[in-house]
Amino acid sequence: MDDDQVFKALADSTRRHLLDRLFERDGRTLTELESELEMTRFGVMKHLRVLEDAGLVVTRRQGREKLHFLNPVPIRLIHDRWIDKYTEHRVAALADLKTQLEEETA
Amino acid sequence: MSTVTEVHTTQVYQVFIKASPEQIWEAITKPEFTAQYFYGQAIEVAGGRRTWRNANGEVVTDEPVIEAEPPRRLVHSWSSAYDPEMAAEPESRVTWEIEGQEDGSALLTVVHDGLENSPKTAASVSGPGWMLVLSGLKTLLETGKPLAG
Repeated sequence: MDDDQVFKALADSTRRHLLDRLFERDGRTLTELESELEMTRFGVMKHLRVLEDAGLVVTRRQGREKLHFLNPVPIRLIHDRWIDKYTEHRVAALADLKTQLEEETA
Repeated sequence: MSTVTEVHTTQVYQVFIKASPEQIWEAITKPEFTAQYFYGQAIEVAGGRRTWRNANGEVVTDEPVIEAEPPRRLVHSWSSAYDPEMAAEPESRVTWEIEGQEDGSALLTVVHDGLENSPKTAASVSGPGWMLVLSGLKTLLETGKPLAG
């Protein structure tokens, strides 16, 4: 699973909706997920496959059922790699500005 | 107060790590490794026990290992002994599965289940709880350095 796959998987409102449904309640079957979407079973399966390939959804068998779980780790890794990096910079810039301004007024 | 349906009674986390299953096994069973990514806690899996010591060397929990199949599978019970309210909840269970990949990496899956009657623990370990551990473990194994600090 690479960043491209995760970004692509997230760049679709139906797939984000599916992730939100799983965030509310994890471990759902295809039938349960399908019942909440105006979409054919095949369509939902296709979207779930993209999410699974990106590592955002993990399936586990429980008896005869295949349950879908939200895996938040790839989003966390993107956060660490892309969000933290830039926000940290901004926070550091503000801290520098504060130091500079305080020195000027001192 | 959250309703029962909002509690994630089974939580699944999965991450690819550029490391061999043996390296991952070592990192989850040896205290010198866990201290670098598991909230500073020294956790040792040995002789059928999983012993968890805090930064002062005091034993936080000492529980039996349910299943150990190095370097592929580790199952142990979980009680959040670091918090009295959570510690009062029933024990839950954590399963580590390590699958080596053809490219030399490994897929690590952590399943935390049995949380039906432990809503406080479930909320505490979900989200940042396990993710910080797993992203820290990945960073440590891939770069040789801890994520934080």
